[in-house]
Amino acid sequence: MGDGGELAAEKHVRYIVTVEKRKDSFESLVMEHIRLNGAYWGLTTLDLLHKLRAVEADEVIEWIMSCYHPESGGFGGNVGHDAHVLYTLSAVQVLCLFDRLDALDVDKVADYIAGLQNEDGSFSGDIWGEVDTRFSYIAICTLSLLHRLEKINVQKAVDYIVSCKNLDGGFGAMPGGESHAGQIFCCVGALAITGSLHHIDRDLLGWWLCERQCKEGGLNGRPEKLADVCYSWWVLSSLIMIDRVHWIDKDKLAKFILNCQDKENGGISDRPDNAVDIYHTYFGVAGLSLMEYPGVKPMDPAYALPLDVVNRIFLRKEH
Amino acid sequence: MEQEAVTALVADQEEVALLGEGILHHFEEILHQDPLIDEVGFLHPTQFQSLEHSQTGYWTSEAPECPRRYLWCKDHKLAISMEILPKLYRAARHAYSNSAAAKDGPLMEIDLMRHSKALLILCPDMLTAWNSRKMVLSVNYDFTKLKDELQLCALILSYSPINESTGSHRRWVIKKVSEHNQDVSELIERESVLVKEIAEMNYRAWRHRCWLIPYMTREQVLNELKKSTRWNELHVADNCCFHYRRSLLLALLDSCHVEDTEDSLDRKSEVHLMWKEELTWNEMLIKRYQGRESLWIHRRFLSQWWVKFLLSSEETECAAGTSLVDLFLAQEIYLLSDCLNAPADEFGEACVQTELAALYILWISKQVPAVKLKLEKRLHSVGSLEDVLARACPLLKAEQGHALQHTYRVTDETTTYDRCDAPLNLLILIKGLFGTPTAAAAAAYSVGHCLCRLRRP
Repeated sequence: MGDGGELAAEKHVRYIVTVEKRKDSFESLVMEHIRLNGAYWGLTTLDLLHKLRAVEADEVIEWIMSCYHPESGGFGGNVGHDAHVLYTLSAVQVLCLFDRLDALDVDKVADYIAGLQNEDGSFSGDIWGEVDTRFSYIAICTLSLLHRLEKINVQKAVDYIVSCKNLDGGFGAMPGGESHAGQIFCCVGALAITGSLHHIDRDLLGWWLCERQCKEGGLNGRPEKLADVCYSWWVLSSLIMIDRVHWIDKDKLAKFILNCQDKENGGISDRPDNAVDIYHTYFGVAGLSLMEYPGVKPMDPAYALPLDVVNRIFLRKEH
Repeated sequence: MEQEAVTALVADQEEVALLGEGILHHFEEILHQDPLIDEVGFLHPTQFQSLEHSQTGYWTSEAPECPRRYLWCKDHKLAISMEILPKLYRAARHAYSNSAAAKDGPLMEIDLMRHSKALLILCPDMLTAWNSRKMVLSVNYDFTKLKDELQLCALILSYSPINESTGSHRRWVIKKVSEHNQDVSELIERESVLVKEIAEMNYRAWRHRCWLIPYMTREQVLNELKKSTRWNELHVADNCCFHYRRSLLLALLDSCHVEDTEDSLDRKSEVHLMWKEELTWNEMLIKRYQGRESLWIHRRFLSQWWVKFLLSSEETECAAGTSLVDLFLAQEIYLLSDCLNAPADEFGEACVQTELAALYILWISKQVPAVKLKLEKRLHSVGSLEDVLARACPLLKAEQGHALQHTYRVTDETTTYDRCDAPLNLLILIKGLFGTPTAAAAAAYSVGHCLCRLRRP
């Protein structure tokens, strides 16, 4: 372990580009169903490190669009896989990175998402009906990026999310579900995008979130669990959105993330000395971005995209 | 020359594909013949060889095409050699895709169910394969087939307990059964057993269990509370199982709202009794297992509700003698001072315990502002809250005395906690996470910019 030193940005870039090329290995095969999520993690990391140009944009867009289901308007996790909101958001986010939302039939995609809103305001993930506050965030984030929030009942969507709030100030996957940092990010993000943060008791939630910092500096996702790099993003972004980020120790957290780097071959793992993967590489770099680490682009805490990308979408003249 | 190499390579690949197909066929046969398989193990070839091979077959186990070299099944336990996994997976993936592409006709359905099952056992994340099964099962409602589906999910969850697609599929099946007005209480019982088996620190398994609560009768809820006691005592570091109890307790509170007033009163007093017992039980665990965050979080929840309940009943009933709220707070302070006075131990558990106890008192004073003054008055027997927090972290007292006094003064003056986050800065100080509060404040960064944009209409 020892001193994590500095961010090995170039190594991480090389790691991401090579993972993309090793798609025939058994490891990538069993991950094939979430390849679109993988593309979002990898490409966003590249962009945060100012290296999006390391990939061929047209090739990426073409592949993304080959995961599209024109009948439903949703995206599958890979070519030939069923559509689900999880992959639809990733597709939209990647297109945002390349400023290529024009490749989409925006209304068709927005209708797909809007069609999954239920009577109580919640969202299903796909036609099979599983409900989760993660899907509420995905729906709201996607529609906002597409400038189509008016297609859903925002008030009901917000009410449902608020109904998932616990006495500890956190949020779960459904009403009464245990508070979990990932679910909290989704609920806080959805409330931030819809301008509904007043539903949150900031001190109470901030208390729960800052208790996630472990002795070694890393953050865990719920009480009594080990620290994990991915929570650097979920917890930190939530703390920023509720304006309580000064309640944790940034320096210790940054050191924890840097300690999880594979400084030889690139990539970041969940905790020091474990095997790296693209998911934790993304969350590690994104966490550092939220802490204004030098050389890393600033990230938007709600849309989970680089700030300049989000600004490009919202500050451009309305369509 | 080059041409020859290519031909050889193609022939090689074909041979590999054939081998995969052969093994897949055998694998599917095993699954078909033994629907009660309840365990799957993926074994290293050397481990695999040490399994007892009692069956006789046509193959000699040295031949590469021999399924016995890779697959083993006995007493409903299935073992797969890791050596064959990539080939078997590719074959299953290929067979599934082919049958999914040609979805028409009952024969294709049988193929689809067979191949998707094989594939999902190897890679349960394959959402699309689960969906194919839902599609087939939706055509005609068949309770037996749906029960088989639960069996398949249980099998996969036994070795891949946090698999999300499997959990989701399982919920879909249960919803389907309950939509057909079939009695789900028996299913729920079985769910409960299953979840217990895979539950250790598993957020998704417990989420599944919480999801089941609305399907439970009041008696089942009461039963679940009773049954989970022992588990919780053995898993005091598992926040999930305590959250489950919280959900059950809240469900009981909800079930008090019934038409019949007398019935409702009975139910209410029953819940209040249980709440009191839960507090006592939790205190016993806190004393037995030092420094467990989950136990103290459970106490925060229990006490917060309990104090609010006592306050509201004091409002409606004329108070005679000692106030119950006062009595309760006195007990809590007593618990705190117990923790403060406990001797240090080599593992530092007593130290963590003190910290958690101090935070607990801070929590109550913040979450139930009505008792803040009472609590502080009571605290004088131990020392001021400031003293308590400083004692909870001796290091803090030595190094941060000044900063501590500073932050504490701010909290004292304020009634509007919204503006002032000093108590939590204090909390951070206690945890030894921060240098000084000023450094903490300086750590706040340009979020204004982001949030301005977020708040744009």
